[in-house]
Amino acid sequence: MTADIIVHNLHYSYPPLTPDGDPVPVLNGVNLEVQQGEFVALLGRVGAGKTTLCMTLNGLVPHATGGIFRGEVTVLGLNTKEHPVADMARSVGMVFQDPESQLVQMRVEDEVAFGPENLGVPTAEIEKRVNWALKVVGLADYRDRSPLLLSGGEKQRVAIASMLAMYPRVLVLDEPTASLDPEGKAAVFNVLSDLCSEHQITVFMATQELERIARFADRVIVLHEGQVALNGPPAEVFQHVAELQAWGLGVPQLVELGHVLSQHTGQSYRFTSMSDAYRQLRRQARKVRMRKSQGPFPPPPSRAANPLAALSQIVVENLSYTYADGTPALRDVDLVLPPGEFVAILGPNGSGKTTLAKHFDGLLKPTAGRVLIERRDTRTTRVAELARLVGYVFQNPDHQIFAPTVREEITFGPRIQELPVTIASQRVDDVMARFRLTPYAELPPALLGFGQRRQVALAAVIVTQPKVIILDEPTGGLDGRSRQELLEVVASFNVLGRTVILITHDMRLVAEYANRAIVLLNGRILFDGPPRALFRQPEILAQAGLALPPITRLADRLEAEGMAAGMLSSAEFAAAWQARLPVKHKRKKKARRTTGKESTSDAG
Amino acid sequence: MRADFNLYVRRDTWLHRLDPRVKLAFVVEATALLFLWPSIWMAVGMVAFCSIVLWLTHIPAVQIGRAWRTLAPLMLMVFVLTALFGGGPGQVLFPIGPLKVTIGATYRGALLATRLLALALIFFFWLFTTDQAAMVRGFLALRIPYDWGLTLALALRYLPIFAGLFQQVREAQQARGLDLEQRSFWQRLNAYRPVLVAMVISALRHSERLGWALEARALGTRGVRRSVFRPLRLRGIDVLVLIFLTLTLIGGITLRVL
Repeated sequence: MTADIIVHNLHYSYPPLTPDGDPVPVLNGVNLEVQQGEFVALLGRVGAGKTTLCMTLNGLVPHATGGIFRGEVTVLGLNTKEHPVADMARSVGMVFQDPESQLVQMRVEDEVAFGPENLGVPTAEIEKRVNWALKVVGLADYRDRSPLLLSGGEKQRVAIASMLAMYPRVLVLDEPTASLDPEGKAAVFNVLSDLCSEHQITVFMATQELERIARFADRVIVLHEGQVALNGPPAEVFQHVAELQAWGLGVPQLVELGHVLSQHTGQSYRFTSMSDAYRQLRRQARKVRMRKSQGPFPPPPSRAANPLAALSQIVVENLSYTYADGTPALRDVDLVLPPGEFVAILGPNGSGKTTLAKHFDGLLKPTAGRVLIERRDTRTTRVAELARLVGYVFQNPDHQIFAPTVREEITFGPRIQELPVTIASQRVDDVMARFRLTPYAELPPALLGFGQRRQVALAAVIVTQPKVIILDEPTGGLDGRSRQELLEVVASFNVLGRTVILITHDMRLVAEYANRAIVLLNGRILFDGPPRALFRQPEILAQAGLALPPITRLADRLEAEGMAAGMLSSAEFAAAWQARLPVKHKRKKKARRTTGKESTSDAG
Repeated sequence: MRADFNLYVRRDTWLHRLDPRVKLAFVVEATALLFLWPSIWMAVGMVAFCSIVLWLTHIPAVQIGRAWRTLAPLMLMVFVLTALFGGGPGQVLFPIGPLKVTIGATYRGALLATRLLALALIFFFWLFTTDQAAMVRGFLALRIPYDWGLTLALALRYLPIFAGLFQQVREAQQARGLDLEQRSFWQRLNAYRPVLVAMVISALRHSERLGWALEARALGTRGVRRSVFRPLRLRGIDVLVLIFLTLTLIGGITLRVL
């Protein structure tokens, strides 16, 4: 049986960005094969060419993009170079990252029927296909809804259904979950997994969702420097921790834990799944008779006793906000944020996270109650004035980028603040160097890749040195290193005593960086406290649709074996585990005598 | 917040279920009658008729009230201006400075204002009871080329998205210190320039991807005749309404010519 997808020695360069520039090479000799019914995940850094590779599979590259194309891509026996995209579309479905730009109709059923209509499928048959496709993605009751009013996850499922209705044998998806909340992501992955196993559809998906790849994919292909660098089952590929990290890609948290544990203890740990990790560690714990945990971590400092509270930067009193159409978005929110905190705002889509954050820089004015920023009432202060205190990095970098060059983009803020030219240009140079944007200083930002555009957006805010910075979902679609670099900049900003407010769904990020978590649900504060305390409240997590990071879950499961619950990072887990291991397995008495010592990192 | 320019009110009445082409025929005919008959009674009758029809469609009174309120200033302006400047024959009711308000002009003002209301109600009936998808399907069924229909559908689909985009871009710019609350009109207009640039860049990006998405959905496949998922078919009630419309039109024209 021939493979569904065969890519042979594929080289591709985009046309030059500027009239006198050179072609931009992206793929540099890609070889791969995918069999029918396989679920293949494509992993690579931002800008590694994942999107490009996906787009070669239905011929959009090179038919729609131009550029220099060498080598061969054969999908279901059709050479993409010889067949126009619309012909390839009969058997290759393609789902893009942004649901907005691929839904073209005003009713869900019309949306799903659009493809079959274009293929000239008879009316009765379309009806059957629409029913089937919507049922497969779990949206059978949504037929006459407007796609515009669906959630992100629902929109992506409609996009998948509208491909399925064309009865494709291959489904290519380009980061379809990058902008979804955890619930939406889970729904999309479940649908894809069923398509492979039950309908024998081949799924080829570019993604950064490491944890879910490890769980759902049959095979992982890693794209590095324009070539396939690793190719195999997830358990195998993710064992190359050192390489993956060197290439700027992350690994699933449990794999990382295995790696860190191995380094800490000198023994070899390899975890492929939660149950595998649990079994291995439990076995070890029982064999060596672990020492009991020294109880929970020290309680966090109480905020009431914080002398800075009186000088609090952000005070929210009785805040309610109602949209013009009467929908209440926030109800009676009270909040005090002293300077220097790293706050994560969590909650499902539509819970009021962004609405709350937009009150901090005056973009929204309270319907009732008030918000004070450094004692200025936002109701009577101009947004432009608040913008000097509060920087806001929006979810989509393209919404704030407008200048003809990167340098001008970053200079915009200091210029508006009327800083002296020498100081302003010094600051701009510093920030560009820090974000490694100096080589692109004179290029139009719109020509940069997504990861770099996001950095430009962040740099343009950081350069104004606000006292508070708000980041709205800053890590969606970023690879391991870009994510880490971004957070390091933010963390170093926080170390200077400036406040960071992070709107996110990424619990791993909350665990590793935030010192305060605020959970919103239906416009009210459901929880406000340290992340560690939040992680001990399963009912709140369940209510808000939040899932614990794998490491925290593993530690909780191992509590019975003497492990301290509420672990936040691999390093913390490894240190705690090591502390529980007797110094020498056979000399238990001596081991017991040293019990009092806790690893210092436990306190973190 | 919604800005989708969609006035459609979802209800399940026989008027909602009418074929969009029949509703369009009603709009055309009612408009024709209104202008064929330059009588205030025709206009008042049409307002009454449309009000009854709207009442039959179970559109909430609040929504109809809003339509009236939107029109009221315009009607008042048309009435006052025509009465003041219309001149024309007839008895002078009262003079205002050099202007003379005549009975003829007052009547014409009232006629124009009522016609305006009647015309608006005719269109509101159409917009309130026909969802945008049905409108496009109606046009297509009237043999408008598919590309035009798709363009209209995409325009209707993307208007609200671009409106939302404009809002987001504006907020993102304001958050960076762009002062859009400046006083003078020119200052404000100038301040909006970055917003528009960012907006255009986003829109271009959007439309490039939209083009790809359409190709990936097999739009423009060679040698294939597009099929239709929900073809429009005239049902009994549609035919009845069409007959009624034809008869009133013939009657109207006959009466007018005689």
